[in-house]
Amino acid sequence: MVDQTHKPEETAVPNNLQQHHKQDEEHHQQQQSVRENAEYEDKELHKLLVPDITLLPLTPPSAVESNFASYFAPDFMNPGNDQYIYRHPNGLCVVGLASTHSAFKDKVGVSAVDFNVGKSDRSGMKVTGKRKKNAQHFESNTALCKVCTNDASYIIRCCVKGSLLEVNERLIKQPELLNSSADREGYIAIIMPKPADWHKVKASLLSLEEFKKLRALC
Amino acid sequence: MSNEVESAQVNDATEVNQLSSSAAVESHAGSCDEEMPLLLLNDVVRSIPNHVVKALLSIGVCSRCVLRIFGTEDRIYCHPLLSQSMLRSIIEEVTGFKSEGSAQFCSVCLGILQFSYCNDKETMVKMESPNDMALTIAELVKKEGHQIDGFSLEVSVPQLIMENESSLLSAMRKRYESEPWFQERLLSKCVPVKDVLKFAITKPLETLLDVKSSSAGCFRIRLTYTHKMASDNSVERNQGFKRRKIGKENGLHNVNDESVISNKVCSDYSTNETISVTGSSSNILQDQEPYEHLRIPIDKVSEPCHLVYLCYRTHIYLCGRYLKYSRNVSQTRWIIDEERMGEASVEEIIGSNILPMCRGDNYKFHAAGREDIDVRMLGSGRPFLLEIHNARQVPSEETVNEIESKINGLENKLVGVKNLKVVGSQGWTLMREGEAEKQKQYCALVWISRPLEDEDVQSISLLNDMQILQKTPIRVLHRRSPLEREKIIHWMKIERIAGSSQYFLLHLCTQAGTYIKEFVHGDLGRTQPSVGSILGCRAEILRLDVTDVKMDSF
Repeated sequence: MVDQTHKPEETAVPNNLQQHHKQDEEHHQQQQSVRENAEYEDKELHKLLVPDITLLPLTPPSAVESNFASYFAPDFMNPGNDQYIYRHPNGLCVVGLASTHSAFKDKVGVSAVDFNVGKSDRSGMKVTGKRKKNAQHFESNTALCKVCTNDASYIIRCCVKGSLLEVNERLIKQPELLNSSADREGYIAIIMPKPADWHKVKASLLSLEEFKKLRALC
Repeated sequence: MSNEVESAQVNDATEVNQLSSSAAVESHAGSCDEEMPLLLLNDVVRSIPNHVVKALLSIGVCSRCVLRIFGTEDRIYCHPLLSQSMLRSIIEEVTGFKSEGSAQFCSVCLGILQFSYCNDKETMVKMESPNDMALTIAELVKKEGHQIDGFSLEVSVPQLIMENESSLLSAMRKRYESEPWFQERLLSKCVPVKDVLKFAITKPLETLLDVKSSSAGCFRIRLTYTHKMASDNSVERNQGFKRRKIGKENGLHNVNDESVISNKVCSDYSTNETISVTGSSSNILQDQEPYEHLRIPIDKVSEPCHLVYLCYRTHIYLCGRYLKYSRNVSQTRWIIDEERMGEASVEEIIGSNILPMCRGDNYKFHAAGREDIDVRMLGSGRPFLLEIHNARQVPSEETVNEIESKINGLENKLVGVKNLKVVGSQGWTLMREGEAEKQKQYCALVWISRPLEDEDVQSISLLNDMQILQKTPIRVLHRRSPLEREKIIHWMKIERIAGSSQYFLLHLCTQAGTYIKEFVHGDLGRTQPSVGSILGCRAEILRLDVTDVKMDSF
């Protein structure tokens, strides 16, 4: 009895082995094709990613140039107080010192920035939520901060009526940002004007071209 | 007729009923192909005390309601071929009741179990049998062109019916609890109106539509009954009840008197059977009731209910991954001041190609995250879920594959689709599951203000799981909270571009919710660190592509 049951097993063994080999090969081939597919897809993807260098400009426009419309307020409330307003399509305005500001006439440049002007410390307010609760409503001539050089100090104002969303607190510890990049990291504050208030002030502002002409910049 | 004779009759009838009910349960399988078991119906009617049947009929309760109140197990009153006229004539024959004048609408079920209603065209409809009603419903389903493999029947009836019923049952209980037959037939066996209606029309519907019904059906047939009286009077009636209650509490003397009166009347009633059998039974029912507010629901009903039929399929879902090859296509329809932003949207391209194949009413597009209009979605694609409302047919696997090929073969090659398939409601869970661990991979075309050095490539590649702090980007600050969000940049890799020293490709993998553009140019220093600050120069991003949205479940 035992012998009889063994017999079929013995003859079956080589068959099983053969089957295993076949399965292994098929599996290997499958894996191979999956890998090839993935590689092919990667190559196709890569083709889409690499740009045509000949179509790229030598110097691309900056983030500010691409995303904002630039306006200028020359001699705002005081001679030499040239300020810029970058307006985003969503209505927000970034205000700061134009490169022609009197503060930069000084050799060393700006040495300190103080947001504690007017009735409150502008760096202390906390605006929260989508509705921008607790944002202070300022007029265009409301003081934002005081910028100091060795010899003088200048009051920087809003230039546009609206809610103050944020001041650039980094200027407190790093006033030199104004010297290196007043047009980017050295911005002063972000203001949210109502559409009507923006329209009113827009008329009195200059475009980049007009400003350049006025200050005889290249 | 003396009291004793009456009780004897009732006892006999009950015995007969018990014998036949077991047989009835077997034979009355509910098939409307069977002939109406008229004998059984006769027996059932006989098993209910005649005077009770007549009392109920005379106060305007319909025949079907009379039978269901006594809740006979065989539910003969639900038989689909049992017509109004057949039922009425049998009852009148057995009890000797003569109906007065024109048929009224039932004061309890408001005509629902008489298959009378007012349809949406404000026309009065009076069906003869449940089968006729089922026919109308089946026609509606066929007219809509629904392809179904099952259905679930939902019925909604006015609250007033429940109120009527409980008022009637408590009045009956008070009136008949002293009678000998009452112990055997408890009024708790009363079968609700909804159940009677459903049971009556479900089997014929199954036959007409050639499918089975189930409580979990994806195809819903909804009958909504409303009644003018229901909305107007319920408040008044409640107030009336309150007033009555207060009166009782104050006048203890009155209550005693009333209860004394009622007992007296009850005992009188049981000996004066002759008087009760004739038409004046309704008066006695009302007069001896100390709870006068019960009178109102027993008023005659002059109008039937308004019925709205609705048949629809519950939402079906298609899921897959989409690719966006264009930098001028938004993810969802984007319209500002009546002008469309971009030339098309992913949502509309996918939705408009799938909706007609399902013959649905409407679609809703949901995606696992989104990308800007000027950012391409490449690589594995972004998971999405498309909800189709009231699809007349569920597309087969073959059809779904055809849709996928069609979208991928569109001439303008704006959008692509992968792994499109029909999925159950678990599609939602799949989407939510993936969101938590989502990591995304991007490829950005970056320009820096000085030539790229080998050290730069090295130092960037060494930064792993670097934490950055992003203030809400100015471009979304108008609609989002001003917050500082911590995000993780998992890894970065610079790929040089042949022929350029200042342009390169930056591959990076970040935590979900990271603003990539701001991470590159710094957003006026409000994202720290940024690519620019890491490399110590000015960095600008020219274009961005999403190359992978890691989500295993899709």
